[in-house]
Amino acid sequence: MNHLLRFRPSVFTACRRSFATQQNFVPPKSLEAIDPSSSHELAKPVTPTFYTGRSSYYESMGALERAVQHSRQMLTTLNIFPLPPFALEALPPLIPVWKSKEKLNSALDTKLSATRYRRMLALLNELNHFRRIAKSAGHDDVGSVIQDILDFFERDDKEEHLKRGRKKPVKFDEYGRSYTLGRRKESSARVWMIASHNPPNDAQRNSPPPTSQILINNVPLNKYFPLPGDRERILAPFKVTGTVGAYNVFTLVRGGGSTGQSGAIAHGIATGLAGHAPDLESILRRAKLTRRDPRMVERKKTNRAKARKGYGWVKR
Amino acid sequence: MSSSLLRRRISHSWRPRTRTCKARGLNTHFDPIPEQNPPIKNLEEWTEMQLKRQEQKELIEYFSQFGSTQTRDTAWQPHHSLHRPPTPHSLTLSALLAAGAHLGHSTSLLNPNFIPYAYGARGGVTIIDLDHTVPMLKRATNLVRALAQRGGSVVFVGTRKNFRAAAQKAAERMGPQGFHVGDRWLPGTLTNRLELFGHSIVQTTKIEPDLVVFLNPIENTNAIRECAVHHIPTIGIIDSNVDPRIVMYAIPANDESQRTAELIAGVLSIAGREGADLYKNFQEELDLKRRQSDERLQKRRESFERSREKGLTERLYHESEERL
Repeated sequence: MNHLLRFRPSVFTACRRSFATQQNFVPPKSLEAIDPSSSHELAKPVTPTFYTGRSSYYESMGALERAVQHSRQMLTTLNIFPLPPFALEALPPLIPVWKSKEKLNSALDTKLSATRYRRMLALLNELNHFRRIAKSAGHDDVGSVIQDILDFFERDDKEEHLKRGRKKPVKFDEYGRSYTLGRRKESSARVWMIASHNPPNDAQRNSPPPTSQILINNVPLNKYFPLPGDRERILAPFKVTGTVGAYNVFTLVRGGGSTGQSGAIAHGIATGLAGHAPDLESILRRAKLTRRDPRMVERKKTNRAKARKGYGWVKR
Repeated sequence: MSSSLLRRRISHSWRPRTRTCKARGLNTHFDPIPEQNPPIKNLEEWTEMQLKRQEQKELIEYFSQFGSTQTRDTAWQPHHSLHRPPTPHSLTLSALLAAGAHLGHSTSLLNPNFIPYAYGARGGVTIIDLDHTVPMLKRATNLVRALAQRGGSVVFVGTRKNFRAAAQKAAERMGPQGFHVGDRWLPGTLTNRLELFGHSIVQTTKIEPDLVVFLNPIENTNAIRECAVHHIPTIGIIDSNVDPRIVMYAIPANDESQRTAELIAGVLSIAGREGADLYKNFQEELDLKRRQSDERLQKRRESFERSREKGLTERLYHESEERL
């Protein structure tokens, strides 16, 4: 057998055999280091939710569900879940401020439908509830971990959003003047108010009651508003609170007619008065002077003479 | 864990009398009379409530040792069907029976092609013959294992709300080779891939999976058609109102039962995990061999370089020629 191994390669090349298959013979040992499955040039998908077609949405939902389960487990171990009714009452109110659907679309790089957005919000609200419980019970570490997850889904302008609807405090300048706006019908009034009476220290015992000036477009009240109804309307905030003559008023009013302008000035005065003396705000509110009267002139409609008035019935 | 966290906040030393409490899910709520529980005002009252609950838990735990030996830890719990399915080697007919896999649909809805897998009828309901189900399920597990061993990807499709968790868990078990579809299968996932995934992904990713497992095939006919078009093998849980020929490997069982779906998905995914582990070992061995052959090649190159510098190349060439 050994003499066969000493055969020179020239002998093999001389008698080259022909086989039925076109391919050359490749010894199997040389293919050992080649992985048969790696013959595909393409890589396998990375995320397990690839075949849903909405990978990033389902990944984030999966992450949120895991967070909910984990938080629930932690709270149950800490004996603060599930909570009895008397503990639930003690929790502060939940005011969720989540990103809008459009903002979440760009944040998650998906297109959320209304249903999917609602499902995501349901999970976020549950997590928010757990965070609230953890924080109330004093477990700040657990609460902060949940907060880190929720921060991604909360609005960027969270504080501003929570402040809307709340009345802004009346601002005073260096002389103690308040500047407020009042509106009624088509009129708008800019009202500056300053206290007219002297401070109590300087007041003398028999000094006359304080008087004040009311100027509208640099014209005194009696000249600008000849009608008693308009004058009464402007003085109503002072009369109701008992502060007649206590404040000097300067207004610039534009638009509308006499009723509108007097109503706008009264609205501005009421807001300014509430700013100067916050205790009087409830009195003014009960007297319905702080509310901007929403009544506006109703538009005329087709087939009607005016907003409501119909044309006369004609037999023929 | 809870007692250690609570201990940080209580001023007096309080040691639990027993071992840490494992009892969960019990009504550890406090005094049932609501009048005796005023609303909580401050942090001390929260801590008090937590401690009281912990005490109750530990009391129950202490007395459990004198009670029944059948406790929560020893008895079967509903979540075990999802988290602790049987292995393919330990799968029994009684496990399928307990899961309700033998309950088909109404006899009036029986598909004629399903008759070979039907045992009979009772109460107007077709009973599925589990003597057929067990070997067919075992064959499916062998398929999944062999496929995973060769690096194949498997997609678990369970589009009902009940089946979502089972599909997800099964995909998790198979690691990078497992995928799941828990909600709707978008029609065109395979046939309209360019529009669904985009050019860049289609050009770089292998979109077609190597196997698709359907936990509810009649609700995913679009997906089955797409797999057939692309010659992708399919496994499916076939109920008595379904034609078993729609999938390649049918498993006749109840497709409405959550427990059955969890059992079948679990068994298949455990086989898949075995195959995936084998594939991982094979990959690691390949990497090792590749690295070793690279090192050997590198060493030969270096020695050749050195010998060339010394002018030995010519002599070796002549020597080899003489040998020939």
